[in-house]
Amino acid sequence: MSNEAHALPADSRRQFLKATAFGVAGAALGVRPGFSAPKTMSIMHENSFIKTFDEYFQKTLIPAYEKLTGIKIKYELVSVGGLQTRVTTVAETGTGPDMTLNFFNWPFLYDEKYVDVGDVAEEAGKKNGGWHDAAKEAVVVNGKWKAIPFGNVGQLMNWRTDWFKEAGYDKFPDTWDELLEAGIKLKANGHPFGFELGHGFGDNHGWLYPLLWSYGGREVEPDGKTVVIDSAETAAAVDFARTFFQKTMLEDVLGWTDPNNNKAYLSGQISCTNNAESILWAAKRDFPEIAAATDQSLNPKGPAGRFHILAPWSHSIFTHTPDQHAAKDFLRWLMEPAQIGGWYASAVSYYAPYLHAFDDAPLWHVEPRNIPYRDSLATSHLPGWPAPISRASSESVAKYVVVDMFAKACAGKSTKEVIADASAQLKQIYRPA
Amino acid sequence: MSAHSEPIALPAIRRRVLPALRNWTEREDVFSWLMILPPMAFLIALVGYPFVYGIWLSLENRPVAQPGTFIGLGNFFSDFRDPTFWQVVQNTFVYTGAATLLKMVGGLGLALVMNQAFPMKNLVRAVLLLPFIVPTVLSTIAWMWILDPSFSVINWLLVHGGIAARGPSWLGNPALAMASLIVVNTWRGLPFYAITLLAGLQTIPPELYEAATIDGASALDRFRYVTLPLLKPVVFIVTMFSLIFTFSDFQLVYVLTRGGPANATHLFATYAFDIAMSGGQFGLGASVALAMLPPLALLIVALALYLRRA
Repeated sequence: MSNEAHALPADSRRQFLKATAFGVAGAALGVRPGFSAPKTMSIMHENSFIKTFDEYFQKTLIPAYEKLTGIKIKYELVSVGGLQTRVTTVAETGTGPDMTLNFFNWPFLYDEKYVDVGDVAEEAGKKNGGWHDAAKEAVVVNGKWKAIPFGNVGQLMNWRTDWFKEAGYDKFPDTWDELLEAGIKLKANGHPFGFELGHGFGDNHGWLYPLLWSYGGREVEPDGKTVVIDSAETAAAVDFARTFFQKTMLEDVLGWTDPNNNKAYLSGQISCTNNAESILWAAKRDFPEIAAATDQSLNPKGPAGRFHILAPWSHSIFTHTPDQHAAKDFLRWLMEPAQIGGWYASAVSYYAPYLHAFDDAPLWHVEPRNIPYRDSLATSHLPGWPAPISRASSESVAKYVVVDMFAKACAGKSTKEVIADASAQLKQIYRPA
Repeated sequence: MSAHSEPIALPAIRRRVLPALRNWTEREDVFSWLMILPPMAFLIALVGYPFVYGIWLSLENRPVAQPGTFIGLGNFFSDFRDPTFWQVVQNTFVYTGAATLLKMVGGLGLALVMNQAFPMKNLVRAVLLLPFIVPTVLSTIAWMWILDPSFSVINWLLVHGGIAARGPSWLGNPALAMASLIVVNTWRGLPFYAITLLAGLQTIPPELYEAATIDGASALDRFRYVTLPLLKPVVFIVTMFSLIFTFSDFQLVYVLTRGGPANATHLFATYAFDIAMSGGQFGLGASVALAMLPPLALLIVALALYLRRA
């Protein structure tokens, strides 16, 4: 034994001493990785639109995990709209909760501060029938899973069946052109459309990116460098949007943020909008007669196909977490069919599961009008697609490049001018570092 | 020995050191520095450090949650090539110029009225401060409802009063959105102007007005030759404050329009926040925020020079 120690070179001796010292210190603090776990861990979430969803975590999942492992999970709720600022602070300072919820493309923004959770994701996939492709697009950064995908809060066409019927439509129009035609009739009947064109968080991107894609337009090539917004396809999408706005909508939509279309729809001012399930949910709660006359359908097709926005929720572990193993163990447990299934079901189908085992789960049959949310997953992408998601694509979203390109055209600027503006901005954003 | 020396030494220290300390703090230069130190430390920690850090950030390519690389003035060059940045510059000047002017004129008028004697004067003066006291985010939510496209109370009045078939889209039309924000900012900032100017008005000795009246000055003359010149220093201070606050306004825009429609109401602060927080580009965001410094400094220097000369 002592001979061996003598035989060690100086470096190794130091490493041995270091390891021993850390081991002793770790044991004293009770943080021996893999052997004993911390007493508490925390996960940040934003207040859910669905109350039962947060309650299920607090009243069912937390006690169950504590009973199983003795670890108490703290569920830190941040008010709506405040999560990103909080995640930024935590990531920057390296202190705070162990885990967090992500929206949109955050795993790409904070990737260096997130732990690779590929092993957990793989296991969760195996146990739950495999992941939807959309899930991978949302969290795999440079080949590494930087978050465990949870569910999609997609956007669909929300429309009034009674008013559409009045105008001669039994089902939702299948193409943008047909929708325009229907909109003209409905506006003439006093039931205009209302699609957000202002600076909200989601409802604007939610229909404008799919519109651009369905005409074959895109911001950047898949190489993530070549800006190609200035194309005949984009021009066609912009021209369509202008006509669609002028002939079917209210001027107000240019200044709308996310709550406006919900309010306008629920007060009977508009007959169609693009939104998440929250409209139907709120209608069922507060306006049953509107709920009875509401349906949800896939986005219309354009010349290049049918597209939807990917709006993923996912969970990540911060690298500053003292015990990454314990955090992974928790996520592993959370993603087991019993737990994750219960959590999904607590929100009915508001969060469309990214796991194939739930493709035909009972939660889809509680409200069959939500089934298109599941079907939309196959054609859903993050803003910036088909280029790989990057900080540049985040900057483009934060600067509302695509939204404003459409909005300016609707407000009266020429197609050429708005595309030139967007192109100049994108070239600046995607410039080589 | 030592047991005896202690009780003797302590009073000795008290006798010798404490008076010396007292003498030292009695010196005006020392005392003044002692008084200045705590606020200085406070300012350095809460204003100085973030400011210097902001300058440093603006010179870096610094994505969120990543180490930065120094790129000199690169971010500023990017800003100058960004068409939205120039729109933000224009918006901020229009917003600040119009709102400050309205507040100045309105505030002066309000102060003159409040300076008259009328029943329940003190109560009215206190109530006047309300828009300034209520947290902006809260009062702005009330404005959100007043200007709401679907439920605007103004539009309801217009429609039901038979004035218009359909109310205008206050926040949806680019020009109206800016005008609405200016009105809300004026509403919020007016009491600050009015109360400060009222305090200024009350320091003007009544004898001056009496003398002017005896000399045959009309009410307008008294305002022009007595009130205005004596009020100028106060107007200057309050305008300077107002300029700074209005120029760097954030809450109003963030709650009402978030910079829309199509950037028509984006100001320096909201644009910088979007780039830094949503876009995760700290360096670029800091450069936008810092870009407001030179024009703001210029405005204030110009104002100071003008008033000095006058």
